[in-house]
Order: sequence, then structure tokens, then C-alpha cells
Amino acid sequence: MAAWDLTVTVEDLGPDAPPFKISVTSDLHIGGVILKLVEQTNQMKDWSDHALWWEQKQQWLLRTGWTLDKCGVHADARLVFTPQHKPLRLGLPNGATLKMRACFSSTVFRTVVGICRVLNIRHPEELSLLRPVEEKKKKKDKDSSEELYDLTDVPLTAGSVQALYNGMPAHFADSPKTEAVYKMLSVSLPSPAPEAIAKLYRPASVVDKTHIHTRWLDSSRSLMQQGILENDRLWLRFKYYTFHDMDPKYDVVRLTQLYEQARWAILLEDIDCTEEEMMLFGALQYHIGKLSLSQDMVSSCQGMDDLESALKSLEVKMVGDGNSTDILDNMTAPELNDYLKIFRPKRLTLKGYKQYWCNFQDTSISYYKSKEDRYGEPMQQLNLKGCEVAPDVSVAGQKFCIKLLIPAPEGMNEIYVRCENEKQYSQWMAACKLASKGLTLLDSSYQSEVKNIQTFLSMQRCNSAAPAAQTDDSINTHSLVSPRYHKKYKPKQLTPRILEAFQNVAQLSLTSAILRFLQIWQALPDFGISYFMIRFKGSRKDEVMGIANNRLIRIDLGVGDVVKTWRYNNMRQWNVNWDIRQVAIEFDGNINIAFSCVTADCKVVHEYIGGYIFLSTRSRQQSDTLNEELFHKLTGGHEAL
Amino acid sequence: MDDIDAMFSDMLQEMDLLTQSLGEEAESAPLPKPASIPAPQEMNFSIGFTDFNASLHEMEDNDLDALMADLVADISATEEKFATDRDTSKGSAPFAPIPIQPQSNFGLPASTDTSKPATSSNSIAAPPPLPASKPSKEEQEEQIKADKIKLALEKLKEAKVKKLVVKVEIMDGSSKTLMVDERQTVREVMDNLFEKTHCDCNVDWCVCETNPDLQTERGFEDHENLVEPLSTWTRDTENKVVFLEKKDKYEVFRNPQLFYLWKKDKKSQMDMKEKDKEQLLEENFCGASIIVPDLEAILYMKEDGKKSWKQRYFLLRASGLYYSPKGKTKASRDLVCLVQFDNVNVYYCKEYRNKYKAPTDHCFILKHPQIQKESQYIKYLCCDDEVTMTLWVTGIRIAKYGKQLYENYKAAVRKAAGTATWANRTIQASSSASTPSPTPKAKAANGHAPQLPKDTKGPGNQTSFPPPPPSMETLPPPPPDPMLPPPPPDPMLPPPPPAPPASTAKVNKFPPPPRFPQSSFPTPPMDDLPPPPPPPEEAELPPDFLPPPPPSFAPYGGDSLPPPPPDPITSLPPPPPGPQNFASAGGAPPPPPPPPPPPAPAPAAHPSGSVRKMPPAPPKRTTPQQTAPPGGELMSELMTAMLKKRSQQ
Repeated sequence: MAAWDLTVTVEDLGPDAPPFKISVTSDLHIGGVILKLVEQTNQMKDWSDHALWWEQKQQWLLRTGWTLDKCGVHADARLVFTPQHKPLRLGLPNGATLKMRACFSSTVFRTVVGICRVLNIRHPEELSLLRPVEEKKKKKDKDSSEELYDLTDVPLTAGSVQALYNGMPAHFADSPKTEAVYKMLSVSLPSPAPEAIAKLYRPASVVDKTHIHTRWLDSSRSLMQQGILENDRLWLRFKYYTFHDMDPKYDVVRLTQLYEQARWAILLEDIDCTEEEMMLFGALQYHIGKLSLSQDMVSSCQGMDDLESALKSLEVKMVGDGNSTDILDNMTAPELNDYLKIFRPKRLTLKGYKQYWCNFQDTSISYYKSKEDRYGEPMQQLNLKGCEVAPDVSVAGQKFCIKLLIPAPEGMNEIYVRCENEKQYSQWMAACKLASKGLTLLDSSYQSEVKNIQTFLSMQRCNSAAPAAQTDDSINTHSLVSPRYHKKYKPKQLTPRILEAFQNVAQLSLTSAILRFLQIWQALPDFGISYFMIRFKGSRKDEVMGIANNRLIRIDLGVGDVVKTWRYNNMRQWNVNWDIRQVAIEFDGNINIAFSCVTADCKVVHEYIGGYIFLSTRSRQQSDTLNEELFHKLTGGHEAL
Repeated sequence: MDDIDAMFSDMLQEMDLLTQSLGEEAESAPLPKPASIPAPQEMNFSIGFTDFNASLHEMEDNDLDALMADLVADISATEEKFATDRDTSKGSAPFAPIPIQPQSNFGLPASTDTSKPATSSNSIAAPPPLPASKPSKEEQEEQIKADKIKLALEKLKEAKVKKLVVKVEIMDGSSKTLMVDERQTVREVMDNLFEKTHCDCNVDWCVCETNPDLQTERGFEDHENLVEPLSTWTRDTENKVVFLEKKDKYEVFRNPQLFYLWKKDKKSQMDMKEKDKEQLLEENFCGASIIVPDLEAILYMKEDGKKSWKQRYFLLRASGLYYSPKGKTKASRDLVCLVQFDNVNVYYCKEYRNKYKAPTDHCFILKHPQIQKESQYIKYLCCDDEVTMTLWVTGIRIAKYGKQLYENYKAAVRKAAGTATWANRTIQASSSASTPSPTPKAKAANGHAPQLPKDTKGPGNQTSFPPPPPSMETLPPPPPDPMLPPPPPDPMLPPPPPAPPASTAKVNKFPPPPRFPQSSFPTPPMDDLPPPPPPPEEAELPPDFLPPPPPSFAPYGGDSLPPPPPDPITSLPPPPPGPQNFASAGGAPPPPPPPPPPPAPAPAAHPSGSVRKMPPAPPKRTTPQQTAPPGGELMSELMTAMLKKRSQQ
């Protein structure tokens, strides 16, 4: 067989190095080519990660057993000898950018699996990569100063079992640098400045929301094939909104990143919610942020953490014991006594606040004309069990008011209680909160409730005093809500509302707060819908198709309403005609729909539908093994077959 | 050490007082509360009766027995507790004083109320313990002390448990009366009612409250506690508790498509395959968060304080009920929140066309459960038709209760299935079921908690099916034979000490079996007064005498202790041995004698449970003597009520 020269560029030698000419025959297999090439370079190094990339055809020559002939390589081919794993700048859900090595030669699906293994995120099938939204040029200089986390030194491990060391996967424990990366991954980041939020791109309409989904990479092809180069920027995001088997014990990073993605979706109005919901999200963010900060210090060393928790439980035990004896000792429940001002707005009088001697005991407030009268009959006794408690506070205005709505058979009694100062307020407020839940001052959560209220007040103080200054414990409430509310409310209007919502979540632990956030997010009506601009067969106008985990939704752009939904479990089959790029779906009852995609590639749509169907096949038992073959079968299209 | 014990006994007495006062309160019908503040936490009162005496007389025999047993148990339990405590801690403790107290208490029914305040409520003023605890030096003592403290705390808790006598109307116009414990869930109350009414136990049965003032009706959810909402009723209320079948209670789980795919046409809803229904449930109720049906519709809303009804476009979200204001879009951000569900319940309304000039009669309201009268704080809504109304009310319930609703349903299904399976035995179960005694701990773990109370004695019985044998160790002793033939000496007493929940500390303490026989035998002769009035009653009893349901109070082990002794002083003496016995009897399985557990099934065959009902009275008890509670007014009242009933028959 005739020998001919094959041109191969070795990337490692630099862009200017001349390509090698290797004399080959058509029946030489790829492995042989590589062997010859390496000999010719005379370089002693580990070439094991390298492979041949055929530039014109945009494909890898990975099957070393195939001959050049079989691969279709001829003398005119320009091959590049290049590493399969290259660094990538990965935008994480929390907004941080992480530099790490990813596989450029296998399918994106596999690449994501590899990335998630390093990051310690379970169920990588729920995530994927997409091209980032282009940033405006102005920011370019800023970009360079952006803090970059680097994990490129961490080898991609093959094993899926992660040994824990110091509470983190072993490969993170190597150096302080990697430990910092792990912390970034597993602890939610502080809230961004409101200005930063305002600057980021926000979709203004359903149409805008369709744009983001045009950016997903094709899961069945490699990064290289999709034009991604070394050091390119890609976003890693949760793509499918079904989160399988979420377990806070094993899913620290997954949970944190999911929370971050959800939070940004809300801050950037990617998903719509009502004002009440926004306030609750804000309160939860504040709470999570605060707990994450304090956790930082403790969790810096896991060993210490264990000790700490052991000590804590011991302490609790002792305190608990002490408590029980205390109770018996005193045999009197603690109570609060003070002069407070009380006002009953319902009475049609012009009288304002009047001062009374107030006594808080059990779940009731009794008030008397004066301290001297306290042994007599109270003017009134208010049982707060089941009542609604709302703060009406302005630190700047030195107004510390508790609004009580006390249910009675005839309706609700409105009563305002005004305190003199922060300390008094936080004590009485905490007592009211507990009493509304039927708890007394004896309850162990009382002290923490008081503290919570105090910290929140101090936050307000910082806000009003120095709005610009951002310290650790002062968070601008504007950074907790979407820009829409920046315009609608001033911080001093917003803070009380968030404070109100905060009362209901202040007792949650970090994990439960995150879970609660995710729960509320998942309960939003528009949750988990990915939008695509499509055109139905035979129709001339663009419409939007929403794809969710269990259904397809047709949205009329004119009205913005949901016109029709189809559920997957009524779906008989779906096909893609790759030539005319049309998706055809058949449902039970002889319902057929066909549409083409206007903006996104129809492979993305196809993959979304197939992906959700794939995810629904997961069950608890087989959660450990990922059926990659099935995934590609459902999402691949004709190319994969 | 003695000092400590003395102190403790003081304190415990105090608590006994308190517990007993509970019982007494029940007697003195009119509740002395200031209407505005339902303060006293531990009071029994009746719901559905104008006065308590009336309620007593209306009660069925078995209910009376049960109530009585409850009360008695309360008292005896405290006594026993104390006794056991003493025993365990040290034999040396001074016993004498304690028991007396209860009796005296009974003597002065009137005084109870006043006495309570001092002892009761959270401001538990029992100073003594303090000194008591300090002196201990040795570890053992420490331990003892700790136990005591625990016990004391437990008692305090128990003392505060509220109980209500509730009259429940049944559909056929009749009614049942039962005692409900603060800790009982509606599910448990319904299990009780199932047994009383012999109805099929299908999942649609529901305990409802009706409010004639507002013309509303709401079915309690199975997981709710019944006592809490009832105690917020006003004193002169005409509200009622009704037991009936309501189709819509769990319709959402049978036909989820009606709610989750309500937009689809009727036909495809009807054609829904079971498999698809299951999947709908799975999707909406089994995920990380509950999905609320995406309801949206034009409803009428009565404006605050106005008479007119205005149409608005409403949307239901997990976070609350919203409407879109005029001229705004339906976008989430523009929605106005009418109400969030944390503090309100949803009620069906009747005939609002008349009452409030509503556009239709398909109205529902949202209000705080404590609001009982017309108020501006009530949100009034009106739907075009009944289907829509059911849709919204159910949707709101899902938003409010979430997964709990599904859990309730599954438990109800288990219960229904269980009763079906055991159909042949139901009779038996129902016969014994009569016990209104609260079975707080029962928790209907397995759905069917037929209470075979007496026979089994133990809390274990709740889980176990009718056939008593299977249930824990406790079962053996109460073989039926003893019950029927030799009627226990004292009719009134609920003979079988309800077995203490296995978990209670006491149980473990007693090495049960051996002691029981021994101690019990000796004691009876000694201090027991011959059971006073019992004989006559006994004769009567057998036929319809339901087994005095041993009130199984979780906290107390075998608390079916002797009812207040007739003779205060005399009865008391037996303290040390007596209590032990009981305790042991309750906690410990087998009184030696009772042979093999009698085959329960046989009795089951009998349609009339009456015979079987006889509580397996441990043949000989120390307590019997005490049965006749001549001293206590409450007791005598109960007795007369009972006698009256019986004589009528």
C-alpha cells in the first residue's frame, strides 16, 4: 500500500511550531499514528491524555483501533494532537467562576458527569452546560479583576466513591486554596449589592426568557465539536427541574448551588412571584446569609466542628437539666413587667397611646392602671394564643411598636403596644411571638428569638445610618429582593415587611431554611418551565412552548395566557424530522402536534422533552447507577444512533 | 432523705389535688371562666350541652362508666404514681399523708375552683421541691431525685391536660357523648365514634363543626386536635359537632384529576385511568413541595363591611389566595393577596343568598377559627356553582395542610381496609369500643385501633386487633372468663388497670408479675372495706355493663386505680402495697392466675357485645373497696346518673 504524508500539529509545542509530517499508509490504525508522532517529537512526557482532533471535520479520532482508511482520513486532512482535558472557566450557579479541567472529547453529558464528580454534586444528569450571556464590553476590564477560583490542579478522579476528609471530599483538602473552593461551593455567598443586581440582565417577558434556552450545549456531542475552546467561559446550571433524592447529608454542594440558582432566578425575576412571596424569599435569604456567615467560622475546621457540636449538646443537656430544677426551684414561670403604652385603634376615640403597667405571663398580657394596682383586677387581660403579631418599627424614628390582632368570637381585636427602646421591644416582641404559638417564656427558643429580633433591628439601624456601608452584619434589604421592589419601596419601608416575614422563619436551621426556600420556589406556579419560541405547523405566528417536568404548555404570545397543556403521560411518541427541523408529537386520543423551533435548535427542545422523560424513569433503587445509554437514546436524535 | 421525701410528698399531694380538681370541675357544670379569657387550662367542660348535669344524664351507660373510669383513673393514677415513686425511691418514705388528700378534695367540690388557681397553670406554685432537691449527696440519691423531678414534671403536664365532654350528633338525629382528651386527634376521636356507631369506617366519615350564627360548616382534618377548636367556642354557643359522611373530604385523592386537571373537559376527566391518577398524586403530593391546584376563576367577594358582592379574578397559590385588581394583568407581581392561610380556616356556608344576599348559595368563608360571629375580619367568597366551590375549598385545604392531608387520607384508607378485613371481628371490637376513654398515645399507628380496652388493659391493645391475645403481655391477665362469671366485686370501678404505655418509666421499674398476685391478695382483706354499694349494681351490670373502659392515659401506667375510696381515711391506708399492685398489674403482664388468654374470637361471634364487655377484672384487687365513692360529689352524681339510667331500662 502506498505511503503518504499525514500532517499533524502538536499543540503542546506552541502555535508557531511547524506541523509534523508522518509517513503513513491507509491501513495504519490511529494508535499507530500516535505512536509514530510521539516518537517523532522526541519529547519525553505523558501523552496519555492526548488524542487526535480532525479540525476540518470537527471530530475526534478516538478509536485507536480504527485505520485511517476507516476513519476517512486522507492526505488532505489536518490533524491536531491535543489534550482531551483542558481548563474551562465555569460559571457556577452562585455566580462565582471556577477554573477547572473538563473533558473536551467526550459527550457533554459525560463531561458534566466528570465536572460534578469533582465538585461533589450528585445526580449530574440534572445539570448541563450553556454558553453564557455575552457581557457588555464595558465590563471587560472589570472581568479581569474578577475573583477566580482555581481547581485545575485537581486531577479528575475516576472512582465515584468520595472519601471524606475534614468534612469535605479528599481532593479538596489538599491545600488551603482548594479548601477555599470547597467553601465557596458549599456555603451560600453573601447577598450581592443591589446595584449589582440591577446591572445584571433580566428577562422582561416570556420572549426574553426563551433566549436563555437557546444556549444549551448539545449533550450528545463533545465541547470541541461545539466550538468550545480552552479557557472559554461556560455556565454550569441545573437544567432539568426534578431534583432526585435530595439529601442534605450528601448534597451539601448540590443543595447550596441549587439554592443559589433559585435565589438568582428570583432576584433577576426569571420566575415571577407575588409580593408576599418575595418578602418571604427575602427573609429566608437574610436568614440563610446570616447563618452561613456564622457557619463559616465554625466549619473552617471540621474536627473542631464535631467537638463544638459535642460541647454544645453537652451544654444543652446541662442547661436542660438546670432548667428543670430551676422550674421546680422557683415554681414560677418567668414574666415580664413594664410600663408600656397601649393603644386600641378600633375604639372610636381620639385618645392616643396611654401608659399602663403591663405584665406578661404565660401567654397573656395583663395591664393595670399603674404598678400599684398590679395585685388587683387587671384593666384587661389579653390572651395572645393564636393571635397575629406584626412589628411596626422604625429604629431611626425610635418607634418600637407591636401590633397585635387578637382573635375573639366577635372578630379580631386590634391592639398596639408601644415599647420604649430596642431592648424592651425585643423582649416583649419575642414573648408575643411565642405566645401566639402557644408557647410561654419558659420555652427554650425565647432567648434566641430575642436575639434574632435584636440583630434584625441592628441591621435596620445600619441601613438608615449609613446606607452605603456594607458590613458583614448589615445587609441592605434591597439586596434581598428583585429590582422591581427597589423602585417600589425604600429600604425603610421594605425592612419592616421582610422583618415580618422573617419572624416566621427565624427559628429554622441553615439546612431547613435552604430547603424551605427551595420548597417555596418549587411551589410557584411557574416553577420549572423552560420556554421556547416555536411555530406550529401550518401557523404563521410565533408562539411559546413551555416545557416542564410533566407537561408541555402552549402559550399565546398575544395574551400571554396558557392556551393548552399536554401531559407526558398521555404522550404516545415524539419524533424529530431533522431535515426540516420539526418536532412532531402524538398524544393519546389521536392528538398530533408538530412545531418547528424559531430560535433554539430543535435538538435542545428534543433533549428537554427526552431528558424529562429520562429523569422520570429514575427510581430510588437504581439511583446510584446512571443509565447513560437510555439518556442518549431519549435525547440523542439521529446523530447519536 | 426522709426530708426530701416528705417535701416531695407534699408537692405531689398538691398535684393530686390539682388532678382531682379536674374531675370535680367536670361536675360543677357552669364553667366559671371569664368569657374573654379562657384562662384555666385544665378544665373539663361539655360541648353540646347547656349544663353539665344534662350532659351526664344524656350519656349512655357505657359512656358514663367510661367517664367515671376516666375520672377515677385520673385520681388513682396520681395516687399510684406517688406510691410507686415512693416505692422505687425508697421504702422508707412516709406514705400516710398522701392518699388522704384526694378524698378530702372530693368532699369539697365547690372549693376546687378556688384551690386550683394556686396550684394549677404554668405558675405552678409548688415551692417545696426546691429544698428537697438540694441535699442529695450520693449518686443514687441524685438518680432518685432526678426521677422524682421527672415524675413531678410529668404530673404537672398531666394535670394540665384538658378534657372535654363532647356531644356529637349523628346523622340519624341521635347523638353520642364522649370524652375527648386534649391530646387526641380527630382521627382518634373518629375511631372511637366508629366503634360506637357501628358504621362502616369508610374514609368519608368526618367530624364537622357547625356554626348556626354564621351558618357555616367545616370538617375537621384528621390530624387536628379536637379540643383546641372546641375550647374557643363561646359559652352560650349553639355550635355543634356533627359526625357524618362528606364526599368531598378526600375526593381529591380518589379523583385528583378533578382538581388538578379541572380545565380539561368532563369526559376526559371521567375517563382518567387509575394509573394516571396515581401519577397525578405522585407528582403533586410526593415531591419536595406540595403542588397546589392552579385554580383561577372569577368569584364574588363581599367587600369589607359592605353588603355588595364584587366580582374579581381570583388565583390560588401555595402562599395564599390572590386576586388581580382591576386593570392589572394576571402576572404574579400584580396580584393582591386577599389572605394567607396560616391563621385562617376555610368554611362552607349555607344559604348565604338569604343571609347576605350572595349571588348564589355556593359560598365559603375564610376566618380565624376563634371568630364565631359576623365580623369584618371574615372573608366572604361566592362561587357560581357547587363544583367550583368544592374545587376552591379543597384547593385551599391543600395549600394550608399540604402533605398532611395526604397522610391523613392514607391513614383513613388503612383504617377502612383494616375494619373491612376484620369485619367478622368488628362486633367484638365495637362492643368494647364503647370506651370513650381517651387513648392519646394510640395514634392509630396502624389505622385501626379498635379498643379492646378492658380486655387488653394495655395501650398495646390499640395497635392490636380485636383478638386480644396478640397484644402485648398485658393481655393475658384479663381473660374473659373472670369477667363474666365472677363479676368483679365493684361494678363501678373500671377493674382492669389500663396498662401503662410501655414506654413509661414506671413500667420498667416494676418487676411485675410476681408481685402482683402476692401483694394484691394480702391487701384486700386488710384495709379494704367491703365494697360498699357494689353488690346491687353488680347484678344489674352484667347485661349491659360495658366494661368500664380503662382510661388509658398515656402518662399513667396502670392508673385505673381505685376510685376514691368511700371512706377517706380507711381507704387510704393501703398505700404502699396497693399502689404497687396496681402498677404492677397494669404494667406487668400477667397476673399469675389468669390462665391462657381466652380465645377472643368466640365472643366476637356474638352480635351483642354486652356480655363480653365486662371488664376483665383482675380477680382480686386491693382497690375494690374504694370503688364506691360516696364521699365525692362527682362520683355520687355519676352514680345516680348511672343508676337512673339502668333503672329506666
